[in-house]
Amino acid sequence: MGCQNMTGFVDLYSEGGTFLHRIDARVKIVAVLFLSVLAFLLSNVYSLTLLLAFIFILLFLARASLSRTWFALRFVIRFMVLIVVLWPIFDPSGTPVWATFGPVKITEPAVWRGVTSAVRVGCLACVWYILMFTTSQRDLVRALVKMGLRFDFGLALAISLRFLPTFSATIDSIKDAERARGMELDKGSLLKRSRNYVAILVPTIVSALRSADTLSLALHSRAYGARADRTYLREPKMRRQDAAALSVVIALLVVPVFFKFVLGVPL
Amino acid sequence: MNALRMRDVSVRYPDADRDSLDSVSLDIARGEWVLLLGANGAGKSTLCMLTNGLIPHVVKCSLKGQVEVFGKDVARHSVATLSTKVGIVFQEPENQLFCMSAEEEVAFGPENLAIDREEIAARVEWALETVGLLGCNDRPPSSLSGGQKQRLAIAAALSMRPEMLVLDEPTYALDPIGRIELYSLLADLKKKHNMTVLVVERDAEEAAAFADRIALMSEGRIVRTGRPKEVLADPNALRFIGVPPPQLCEFSEALYTRVGGPKIDSITLEAVAREISTVLSAKKGVEVIHP
Amino acid sequence: MIPCPTADEGPIAAMRNVDFSYDDGTEALHSVTLDVWRGEHIALVGGNGSGKTTIAKLLNGLLRPSRGHVLVKGNDAAKESVAALSRTVGYAFQNPDHQLFCSTVAEEVLFGPKNLGFADAKAVEKADRALSLMSIGHLKDKAPLSLSLGDRRRVSVASVIAMDPEVLVLDEPSTGLDAGEAAELMRALDGLNQEGKTIILITHEMRLVAEHSERVLVMAHGHVVLDCRTRVAFSEPEALHESGLIPPAAIQLAHRLSDFGVSPEVLTVDELAEEVAKVWGARI
Repeated sequence: MGCQNMTGFVDLYSEGGTFLHRIDARVKIVAVLFLSVLAFLLSNVYSLTLLLAFIFILLFLARASLSRTWFALRFVIRFMVLIVVLWPIFDPSGTPVWATFGPVKITEPAVWRGVTSAVRVGCLACVWYILMFTTSQRDLVRALVKMGLRFDFGLALAISLRFLPTFSATIDSIKDAERARGMELDKGSLLKRSRNYVAILVPTIVSALRSADTLSLALHSRAYGARADRTYLREPKMRRQDAAALSVVIALLVVPVFFKFVLGVPL
Repeated sequence: MNALRMRDVSVRYPDADRDSLDSVSLDIARGEWVLLLGANGAGKSTLCMLTNGLIPHVVKCSLKGQVEVFGKDVARHSVATLSTKVGIVFQEPENQLFCMSAEEEVAFGPENLAIDREEIAARVEWALETVGLLGCNDRPPSSLSGGQKQRLAIAAALSMRPEMLVLDEPTYALDPIGRIELYSLLADLKKKHNMTVLVVERDAEEAAAFADRIALMSEGRIVRTGRPKEVLADPNALRFIGVPPPQLCEFSEALYTRVGGPKIDSITLEAVAREISTVLSAKKGVEVIHP
Repeated sequence: MIPCPTADEGPIAAMRNVDFSYDDGTEALHSVTLDVWRGEHIALVGGNGSGKTTIAKLLNGLLRPSRGHVLVKGNDAAKESVAALSRTVGYAFQNPDHQLFCSTVAEEVLFGPKNLGFADAKAVEKADRALSLMSIGHLKDKAPLSLSLGDRRRVSVASVIAMDPEVLVLDEPSTGLDAGEAAELMRALDGLNQEGKTIILITHEMRLVAEHSERVLVMAHGHVVLDCRTRVAFSEPEALHESGLIPPAAIQLAHRLSDFGVSPEVLTVDELAEEVAKVWGARI
């Protein structure tokens, strides 16, 4: 069912008891941001590869199922390969020149730059995957609100995530209903096909609007927006191990920065 | 002081050519269970939305007359304030559950009222237990069955500690056993907590036996109220407003036209079966021997 | 209309040992075998999630069996497209809002027959007939989505009837309708059944089943647990109960009075009153 695919795509989280699951979501968000910054700061292909290896180990420790990991990595790997292949074609600068095909010049530095960028993209993507694999949407939204995101934005985000699978199930149902009336969605000219998709779009939007109506009544009926000092049943709490994890994360960014920018080590 | 007091209430939506409610007056006593019956478009949902101030505060329309819940004028109090008096449950379970877990769903209301964390935890525990969903705290609402979703919606209203529950066609998407379970839960709340209940339905079949009083609605007016036995004794009044009479009433009517009696005075299956059994047993003395 | 299976005409639709699992592994049907004969009026009942809708979608090809075969007019449905199958098996979805998208009711009802390639005049004729059967001719120029739920439901059923399928599957058609609207819809369906159309009604409303269907298929946990004449089905309350269903009050009352000689095989209020009156009369 398409709905399942869509849910899988939107919600990569799977329950687990690894230390990555247990760490406070705020620490994980900070870690993701710091590691992303680090991936941008490092320009040496070897140190980036080391970072990628480190991230891969973490990814392995997250213990997401193989099919899920593969589902996620498939996109990243394709993208990395694409960068390695295309970069040298569009970047003719530098010497030595390895090969020339008509106007296209393949140079050694460009190839390395391509590889470096690909590894960097790999780091960025995988670090986000770790977060998504080990943190439920609920904890993520809670952490964001605790970190200062306005509650109504957090709620809007949570509601969108909550209704995405419903929405996608509606679309599937609408498609089925159209097919049951003899429509062949992917047949005919481009114009006809796009018209077919309008036939899906209209009822989808209408049912979303109808849901939104009830939703707004339900929100108000439960005192939404009554007080600015709203309380929370569950609030993320920093424990000792979270603090320890946070210091490791800070060190992960600070140490390489110190070596690179203060000591001038070419990382 | 009544739970609900409506006096000459008229509501008209923008662009409508007639009033959706047309000078309606209705009183509901504390701890009373009222069943509101009517066909589509009778104005039932509009009446529900008045009970917690969604009309006039959220839904745009013109309102005349006075509505008080537990002595509070709905026009003068916010929906948030009224929500601690009246909990409302809508017909479509899917669209009124918007959180990512059952627990958050139930905690949402009290959190908005800035209630202490310990108190919220206690309320969540109590509400989930009351509706029989304890242990489902972390389940996403979308993974629950139709009946469970509707019970979760009730729990989410209960955590506001209301004194009255208003349910707008709550059994819409439920199978027959799910319906009975839902009504039994409400009956329990009424018994244990003196909960005032207003249930809206299009069909009296399962709902009638639970109510203390039935109100019939048609074209924006309340055309009749009375004890279930009285109201159901006149199936034509139900037919007239487009509500099918319960089968047991139709049966009583059909039997009467065939054999001129007995006048059945019950509305539950058990009681009707008992009455007919008694009548048929009494006849046994003069039983004609069949060949 | 009582079906009369003859040697030269097999069932109009059939399932042979059909298993079905969804992509996520949920097993929805286990080894379902059934025959649907031309002209039958069948109720497909069962609790929420028992597999009713899955059966409907397998019959018109929206789903394909994981194992076993679906036969439509004797041919393996696996070889045919949904569009081709929809000529024989029409399916009105549970939620009318999932199939209304045209700007007028008239276009909406014309959409199906046009897709099936009927000539314009023929398509209009079929659409008009469907409109009048559902008594919504007066709504022709209205926008479907602006109508009341009852009218939207009727438009969605009309849009399937207009395709003139031999088998009409309706998923919970009475949901959201009030008594008058539901009765009118059922009258129209009974009329089509009289003309020889096969009706498969998926519903929770046991009263509709008792009053309109000749045969009942009861589903529970992906199995067909009961397949028999309606009269017989309601004399097996246990099988129904297992599927979250309760017989209508009149039938339950008949069961309780069976010690007095009231037949437990009644279906409607009138039949029950007749039975009780008979017993009553016999005992005066």
